[in-house]
Amino acid sequence: MVLDRHFNIVAVNNAYERATMRARDELIGRYLFDVFPNEEESGRRLRASFERVFRTGKPDSLAYIPYDIPKPADQGGGMEQRFWTAVHTPLQDEQGRVAHLLQNTVDVTEIVRLRQAVNLPFRFRETHLLERAREAERQRSTLMAEGEDFRRLFQQAPGFFAVVSGPEHVFTFANDSYLRVIGGRNVLGMKVRDALPEIEGQGFFELLDGVYRTGTPARGEAVRVMVQPEEGGELRETFLDFSYDAIRDDEDTIIGVFVQGMDRTESVRAHRQQRLLLDELNHRVKNTLSAVQSIAAQTMRSARDLKSANKDLEARIVALSKAHNLLSAKEWTDAELANVVDQELSAYDQSRIETGGSKVALDPKTAIALALVLHELTTNAAKYGALSSSQGHLSVTWQALPDRTLSLAWMERTDNPVAPPERHGFGSRMIERVISGELGGTYENRYAREGFSCRISVPLRTRELNECH
Amino acid sequence: MSLNTTTTNYDGLRVYVVEDEALVAMNLEMILEELGCVIAATAMRFDQAEQMINEGIEADVAILDVNLGGLNVFPLAERLIERGIPVVFATGYDESGIDDAWHGTPTLQKPYTAEDVDRGLAMVLAARQS
Repeated sequence: MVLDRHFNIVAVNNAYERATMRARDELIGRYLFDVFPNEEESGRRLRASFERVFRTGKPDSLAYIPYDIPKPADQGGGMEQRFWTAVHTPLQDEQGRVAHLLQNTVDVTEIVRLRQAVNLPFRFRETHLLERAREAERQRSTLMAEGEDFRRLFQQAPGFFAVVSGPEHVFTFANDSYLRVIGGRNVLGMKVRDALPEIEGQGFFELLDGVYRTGTPARGEAVRVMVQPEEGGELRETFLDFSYDAIRDDEDTIIGVFVQGMDRTESVRAHRQQRLLLDELNHRVKNTLSAVQSIAAQTMRSARDLKSANKDLEARIVALSKAHNLLSAKEWTDAELANVVDQELSAYDQSRIETGGSKVALDPKTAIALALVLHELTTNAAKYGALSSSQGHLSVTWQALPDRTLSLAWMERTDNPVAPPERHGFGSRMIERVISGELGGTYENRYAREGFSCRISVPLRTRELNECH
Repeated sequence: MSLNTTTTNYDGLRVYVVEDEALVAMNLEMILEELGCVIAATAMRFDQAEQMINEGIEADVAILDVNLGGLNVFPLAERLIERGIPVVFATGYDESGIDDAWHGTPTLQKPYTAEDVDRGLAMVLAARQS
């Protein structure tokens, strides 16, 4: 309920309408003390609280206030005895002046009515309750400053807190953190089932019922709950640690449930993301180890002696490792072909090597496969071809074709031509398998008198950038 | 130089290999040959493997990589089983990567050795005979 400076009602919500048994149009625009007259102490206290808020600009609360309200004529008329708690919050206008006051009031009469249910002398218990509440309010008034601090501590605590009262779990307190979890909905004074309808069927209402009935606390850790912060909006996945504890009065009768907990959504998400990354990393490591295992087994198998096997194996593992470096530098999104080519050829005399082509981004799988293929071609050139003689020349050129095929030409020119021997070892079998099998491309080679040459065509799986290299 | 230390000889057992990594496929083929098996065919992509099955692949057992370039091999495993060809899985993921329906199927954890492949084959063959 919102009041202006003259204590005229300017806005009410459904909960207020229900609590006061009056429709919106019977309330709005009317002077509060006309609708709910009270010449007694309660009337004076309520007015004083309003005045404090408008004067100081600070919230003010009435922990407990008996305030009878007129019953509508169609319900028999007369006055109805009611007990309330109320929090009064200043609302500032654009100039920063307190123009309005927001009243969050909760009808706690239900707590009194609860006494009727426990079959004990009602008059005694009611008097007892009233005395306790009056005492609490007296203490609160005298310890105003401390009380405000305490309330603010609760209100702004990082953990969430809420108090629900009675068998239908009516919200009588909810701090800022709690309101954030439920998307800032105004739930004070509402039954949980009305306030949070989307929670139905997720087991929480039943837990509250159980705690209220049996007094046995309920706890949950990182429990998934789907909340709908906006009516008709999307459900939001939230993870909460929570505990529900029974609130008891002096007679040990359960009067409500204290709800507290922590929104763990961020940490659960982070944990999940980390799990995913670890799984992916593990998979990648396993695949790499499998590749290394295969390289080792086949290098050993086709080697002439242990010494050359060792040297070939080392060089192949280094080629694989360098391809990983290129991918790692770009967070495993892609690697540029020019870098893959240059990295492999960097150890040789650059004056005899010519490389060039359009800018092509290779996906990780293609990048690693091509790096291994280029390594084998380079090794062969160094052993038998253009890079083995002082006169040889190597040209590596490529282009990305419009059909998203990469076409790479490897051309050696040498004055001591080689016949096609040795080219059926592990290296050339691997090239064939990688290009046509794994990458779904084609590999053609030619042993001409002037030197070895080959053409590699592979489909590109990421977009290439049409810039010159 | 042979790295094979197993004793079983599968004497011409026809194995259908489905593996999307060329190096891993080459190693598996080498292991199988050393175990005395014959490579019925090797498929390295899902569509290629599917086509071979459509064309009526002849094999005694299949070794399937669970993840084929991001595609799951289970539909192909189902079709092979229907045709009476038992399967062995190979995976770089742990058991959680295998669908519940397939738990109990012999699975090779990458990287695997010749002994692992031997054990996997022995398991499916024993199951087939019983």
